[in-house]
Amino acid sequence: MRRFRSVAVAATVAALTATSLAACGGDGDDSGANVLKLWHYESANSAMGIAWDRAIEIFSDEHPGVEVRFERKAFEQIQQNAGMIINSAEGPDIMEYNKGNATAGLLSSQGLLTDLTAEATERGWDKALSPSLQTTARYDKGVMGSGNWYGVPNYGEYVMVYYNKELFAEHGVTVPTTLAEMTAAMDTFVAKGVTPLGMSGAEYPAGQLFYQLALSRADRDFVNDYQLYANPVDFKADPLRYGAETFAEWVRRGYIAKDSASLKAEDMGTSFISGKVPMIVSGSWWYGRFKSEISYDWDSFLFPGNTMHAGSSGNLWVVPETSKAKNLAYDFIDITMRPEIQALIGNNGGVPVAGDPAAISDEKDRKLIENFNTISGQDGLAFYPDWPVPGYYDVLVSGFQGLINQSRSPEQVLDAIAKPYQDGVAEITRD
Amino acid sequence: MAVPDTVAARPGATPSPPTGKTPRRPRRPDAGYWLYLLPGAVMFLLVIGGPLIYTGYLSLTRWSGVGDPSFIGLDNYRTLLTDDVFWTSFRNTIAMIVAMVVLPTLIGLVLAAVLFDTIGRRFRPRTAAALRAAFYLPQVLPVVVAGIVWGWILRPDGALNGLFDAIGLGALSHDWLGDPGTALPVVMAVMIWVQLGYPVVVFMAALERVDPELYEAAEIDGAGWWRRFRAITLPQIRPETFVVGLTCTIAAMKVFGPIYALTRGGPENATNVPSYFAYFTFFKRLNVGYGSAISMVLTLIIVVVAVLFIRAQNRAERRDGGL
Repeated sequence: MRRFRSVAVAATVAALTATSLAACGGDGDDSGANVLKLWHYESANSAMGIAWDRAIEIFSDEHPGVEVRFERKAFEQIQQNAGMIINSAEGPDIMEYNKGNATAGLLSSQGLLTDLTAEATERGWDKALSPSLQTTARYDKGVMGSGNWYGVPNYGEYVMVYYNKELFAEHGVTVPTTLAEMTAAMDTFVAKGVTPLGMSGAEYPAGQLFYQLALSRADRDFVNDYQLYANPVDFKADPLRYGAETFAEWVRRGYIAKDSASLKAEDMGTSFISGKVPMIVSGSWWYGRFKSEISYDWDSFLFPGNTMHAGSSGNLWVVPETSKAKNLAYDFIDITMRPEIQALIGNNGGVPVAGDPAAISDEKDRKLIENFNTISGQDGLAFYPDWPVPGYYDVLVSGFQGLINQSRSPEQVLDAIAKPYQDGVAEITRD
Repeated sequence: MAVPDTVAARPGATPSPPTGKTPRRPRRPDAGYWLYLLPGAVMFLLVIGGPLIYTGYLSLTRWSGVGDPSFIGLDNYRTLLTDDVFWTSFRNTIAMIVAMVVLPTLIGLVLAAVLFDTIGRRFRPRTAAALRAAFYLPQVLPVVVAGIVWGWILRPDGALNGLFDAIGLGALSHDWLGDPGTALPVVMAVMIWVQLGYPVVVFMAALERVDPELYEAAEIDGAGWWRRFRAITLPQIRPETFVVGLTCTIAAMKVFGPIYALTRGGPENATNVPSYFAYFTFFKRLNVGYGSAISMVLTLIIVVVAVLFIRAQNRAERRDGGL
């Protein structure tokens, strides 16, 4: 069996990487390593892609004689194969990897990721990252939030409301600061025959709106219960009940199009880019694209009235236990935390975790980062609704498609999403 | 083929006359064939046999894909029996069999007969060939590409609803793939479109080998098209019908690509099928043991269906051969 698994690992790695099987780096003692194999999955023109290209340049300058073998991977490739890849000798020395219990947590619990705690303390990463950002970096027996460091995030993300300033002005709507003002604004649009909120039921936006609504009635204890299994979660009680019922009400009132159940997130984004909808509730990952593609006047505001927001650190730099160049990997992580790289993320529409707003030249970009710093500073990052258990993303998608179609009641949807959550948590906490 | 052993052993067979030589044990005439089967057998073991056995083992474990699996016996199979999504996915398989086997085979039979018997005769054969190619075109397209294109057509603001709006039937506009009431029928319709060309091409090839004198004689006797279709076409192409039925049934039971591209099993599991459910369980829920159990059950059912098909085909052939 073990041999078969080895064959499968070898085949998967061969399929994933076009590089030769030539050995790289040293042999256990990596002080003499002269190759750093680096994998990440950011597109070349994204904020992080630009920043990390520069980080590689700096690394090369500071490590003459060390070759950086960078390979850009697809998100799905890494998500589905990381376990096998880094369990083999063909994996990278440093890799961008998905944060969360089902990914980085799982691999850390199997001893496949290097414990970075000593480096985090020595190099000051623990000071640069706020406690809520550290949540996704630290894992105890695979559960995030405490324990040792197994990854380092250096960008952040959060969910906000993007709005079309021109449509707001045309219909006499002002930026809402409370949930009541938000519903009043949406009533105004509905009265004018405009569906106010872009939506896509086939992917994450519906679940995130539900979570934002739930968070309007939530506190840190709820987030710790829901995300970190501190206590059992009652899906029939607020804040989750409020989230589901309000979501259904928003559909009934016409704030959300009833025929959006099959739409993808991309459809929602392009609908906003083309100026068809006045608002969408989604993440900062859209920001850079909106900045380059939207021709009208637009802006964003935090989900009105909430102190807790869906959001977290971005994905993590992890160092596989099999890395042959660990010290070089730590050096690279350290470079990505430098002000120059953090500012580069911020100036290209990303959200740096240790960014200084003063170093950001564009006013809108600065506001994006200031808002993130506000949320992060008030311990308001509530992560994402699909994080708690593996496969929960699809459970939520299916559930909220039922609310958009009005084929299921909030009560039924809460039942449908409660059981997989409880089963998943039981599975994770079994050992 | 020389069969001295069996002839000698058969009751009532005439024994060979004595020759005065020591009787030599005859060499097994088919022993050399095994050599030719060897590469196939090795590949089968590597590509199918080994993974199947390993999947069977994993289906008896709890495993997230990393670390060591822990043996849990038949627990995964017991869970399957009470899993609503599993049963929903199998109910949807029946819909897929209707869409990928029953309807394409029936429509394909009629289309092939019309193309061969009517279009081919009244117009130039090239016309029938061009139409045959048109029906086959969806088979040439990668199924995921076809799925994505149909996804665009069926979007709320897609071409189909646009067409309804343009001809004044805007009231019929609908979120076809987003409504659990319409998603499965729409996916079925797409699968009929994808599958239709396969039986048409196979049946037209089959019709080429039917003796034209049979049709001419039937026509002289006054048989109409429907009578000729029932009495000549259907019996003559029965072997091909079995082949189409078997291959399409297997394809329907393990259908994955179109579901992944069109609906990802949604909305609300309305289009979930066992292959997608197994994929989801493997790679999204990271429950490799359970996903393996789903795969094993699916494999078992496909093997049983294939065996039943082949036995039915053999029975029909024996009947036709008068044995």
